[in-house]
Amino acid sequence: MKNYTLILILLLATISCASAEDHQDYSDDKIRTLLPFDAIPAITEPQFVSAGAAKLDPDAPVIGVTFNDESHAYSLYLLNGHEIVNDVVGGLNIATTW
Amino acid sequence: MYSRDLDGKTYTFGVSGKLWRDALLMYDHQTRSLWSHITGEAIQGPLKGKRLKMLASMPQIAWKTWQTNYPNTSVLSVPFRGSMRESLSRDSYQRYHTSQDTGVSGTEYTDDRLPNKSLVIGVQVQTKDGAPGRDGADGQDGADGGRGGDGGDGGAGGRGGDGGQDGTAGQDGAPGRSGNFDPYNTQFRAYPLTHFAETTVINDMVGEVPLLIFHDKVSFATAVFKRNVAKDVRNFRSQDGHFVEDNTGTRWNLVTGAATSGKDKGKRLERLPAVNIYWFAWARYYPQTTIYRQ
Repeated sequence: MKNYTLILILLLATISCASAEDHQDYSDDKIRTLLPFDAIPAITEPQFVSAGAAKLDPDAPVIGVTFNDESHAYSLYLLNGHEIVNDVVGGLNIATTW
Repeated sequence: MYSRDLDGKTYTFGVSGKLWRDALLMYDHQTRSLWSHITGEAIQGPLKGKRLKMLASMPQIAWKTWQTNYPNTSVLSVPFRGSMRESLSRDSYQRYHTSQDTGVSGTEYTDDRLPNKSLVIGVQVQTKDGAPGRDGADGQDGADGGRGGDGGDGGAGGRGGDGGQDGTAGQDGAPGRSGNFDPYNTQFRAYPLTHFAETTVINDMVGEVPLLIFHDKVSFATAVFKRNVAKDVRNFRSQDGHFVEDNTGTRWNLVTGAATSGKDKGKRLERLPAVNIYWFAWARYYPQTTIYRQ
């Protein structure tokens, strides 16, 4: 009985070690669902105003992009709620991500 | 910042609500493949294994500094509580930035070479010219995922420099010269922002690529360039704000990347994609990364 218990313990220990390792490897790259699709609404038809008309604090952080003489700025604080802007800048189709 | 064009098609992207390695995954509306917004690679779905081409941008900069340099810029405007807004008054992730929390769910991943929440500039450099043709062998399938930055700032080459002369010829832009992402010839390096307390520039060499890393702690502007003009490698030193001077006496604006005075006036440096990112996230996606040390 004693031997049997020892074997069982060793067996369980081996299994749990292996599974812990598997679990760790697996969970590291596992895709987890936090929210439904589009719960955070990406922007697909962005609207813009001119620099002069923009209501922005001078120190507000923005992402800036410029291609072919066209420049767009995106407030980081706005992007927190959207994460992605599908945009066209200077003729290039771009995705601004945050 | 990525191109939405891939293999002759244009895609649009949404937020999947799914997490992978503690970052949100995008999905494309056309095939519903899931994409990492850190690497630009599709990790699940019909486009699995494809890579979006990463484009160079200014990952963060104070609005007034951006506006000064690009007075004709447009500004994103979004409906919010009944009116159009160009910004919100505060950062909804403020608590996250100041806490020790890592990731949305709190990752257990740690690379103890730096504290988890250290901010770094993450750079990936293609250390050899793209080798078109070899991509089939490693499954990169010619997805136009040029990460070396070449072509990334392609449009910038067309911007008239202050000098009016086309000093950018052969130097910047070169649209179409986009190499394929080549994992065997790509190096990753992290530059902790703590190095920029007393200077705005780091002159570095990654592989055989001479790099200029720029960060201005006042405007928080960040940019990475190749620090050569044609084949002439330059050394840069801080001057004031986003202006620097190289060892030929040429003065450069590192928000625009253009020389503003000196013998190269009007020329532009080639800009590479760069990110401001927490160390734990950068190291998790690119564990092979090296860290710049002074």
